[in-house]
Amino acid sequence: MATTTTWNEATPARADNVEIAPRISEDWLSLIIGLFIFVLALAGIANVDLLGWLVTTSVWSDVSKALGTVSKSYAWLGGFGALVATYLALLAVLSAAAVALKSDIKKFALAFTAVFWIAYASWIAGNFANFAAVTPADLQKFGIGWSLKLTNEGAYIFALIVGLVIANVFPRFAEAIKDAVRPELYIKIAIVILGGFFAVTAAGKLSLASSLLLRGVAAIIEAYLIYWAVVYFVARKWFGFNREWAAPLASGISICGVSAAIATGGAIRARPMVPVLVSSLVVVFAVVEVLLLPFLAQTFLSHEPLVAGAWMGLAIKTDGAAIAGGAITESLILAQNAAEGINYQPGWILGTAATIKVFIDIFIGIWAFVLGYIWTNHINRTSDKASAWEIWQRFPKFVIGFLVTFVVGLYLALATPANIAAKVPAAMTEANTLRVVFFILTFFSIGVLSNFKKLWQEGIGRLAAVYFISLFGFVIWVGLVISWLFFSGVKPPLAS
Amino acid sequence: MSQINIEREFRKTEAEPLLPIEKKLIGWSLGIGLVLLVALGIVNHLFPASI
Repeated sequence: MATTTTWNEATPARADNVEIAPRISEDWLSLIIGLFIFVLALAGIANVDLLGWLVTTSVWSDVSKALGTVSKSYAWLGGFGALVATYLALLAVLSAAAVALKSDIKKFALAFTAVFWIAYASWIAGNFANFAAVTPADLQKFGIGWSLKLTNEGAYIFALIVGLVIANVFPRFAEAIKDAVRPELYIKIAIVILGGFFAVTAAGKLSLASSLLLRGVAAIIEAYLIYWAVVYFVARKWFGFNREWAAPLASGISICGVSAAIATGGAIRARPMVPVLVSSLVVVFAVVEVLLLPFLAQTFLSHEPLVAGAWMGLAIKTDGAAIAGGAITESLILAQNAAEGINYQPGWILGTAATIKVFIDIFIGIWAFVLGYIWTNHINRTSDKASAWEIWQRFPKFVIGFLVTFVVGLYLALATPANIAAKVPAAMTEANTLRVVFFILTFFSIGVLSNFKKLWQEGIGRLAAVYFISLFGFVIWVGLVISWLFFSGVKPPLAS
Repeated sequence: MSQINIEREFRKTEAEPLLPIEKKLIGWSLGIGLVLLVALGIVNHLFPASI
């Protein structure tokens, strides 16, 4: 679900956009595209390398060595060739998605071209050795005397900052490329791909992975029952918001940002502009959290990596920001531990953040149904009754994709003959390359959607005050306590 | 594209006191949430994550 910072009062749409719904929702599209990529990657098991031409970026001091292909068998393509090939492939797939979403394909193609190249250029810049190199060995390798030690995944922040600059300094350009600024679509595709990658990671330590899944239940309780109730009370009692504003706001802050605010707005029959504005606020605060929390986690939680991962999943709202925050946190914490001689297996911190987030997402539909039931039966008695069908309508379909890729990946890694199982990690690594590209697009898009000036002009100050107080005074710290309670002492396996 | 100023809208909106059903929703949510959290905390303590 893309968010905007303006709305049109005359648009004849419900809060959940049912009336203006395209042929297929972004949710279903993300599931289809994510599974399509997963299947292409699985061809690697049959020795057919369909994704080896994808571009990867290394930390660089000589820009001509920054890019490469994910598979050596396509090395002849060269780094820039791989980048062009990746762009063309994504342009083709996402343009087809734009047609399904009833977008203007020419406008989308032009906008996506700008989004892709600017976002990827930011990513390449962020991989510059003076920004990304971490260990003394890296500094020596690149012949540099200092580095910000942001790691290569710290480059996501570069994409975010460039997006923020465009939104706030070049708003006309931001408006011109808005057709391709779709952070929810990009991150949901990435999450579907992530399921397979996480399965390969989990296969190595099944008991730990199942422990993580069980602990995800605690996250749901916290987000839905404790966070929501407190934020709703604060908004209603202390700030005097009416119910139409307080309910989407509470869902936005406490559950899963954009999706939850819009689902709640639809459930209580709020005007469309209410969840849209709350969503805008969610995106802005998610930006602040992504810029802040991973570094706090690195400073204070580097010896409790999974507490840090769970904290990102609980505290950062919106799927995109939370999982991207998990990726940055993983990168920072693994680098810090590596500098101390402890080499954890990658994938576990990000996997924990993603698991927590996906668990929270699963119940958005049920929570929207509960609220819809209360509102239609006890508050606005004249409205239509909420139907059980709405649970399915609100259910985030991309979660099905995550579960499918996770289960299939786990099956292939654990229950197939050794010669097949051995090829699964390489196949998932190729798919994971596209996951990284979708993360970059997500970060950039989140930045482009965050027009602080426009939000302020719309009088969003009081709404922002509730958000600020709830998020920084309560949600983040309770999330930290709960993460500590359930994940402290649980360490990722060491890299072999 | 016409825009609304939220602050102006809030000033015009009449106060809506908390209804009993809202108080129930808040109270029950918090109550169930805290009880379940304690229960899960105990389960977590009894069955720590295995590495």
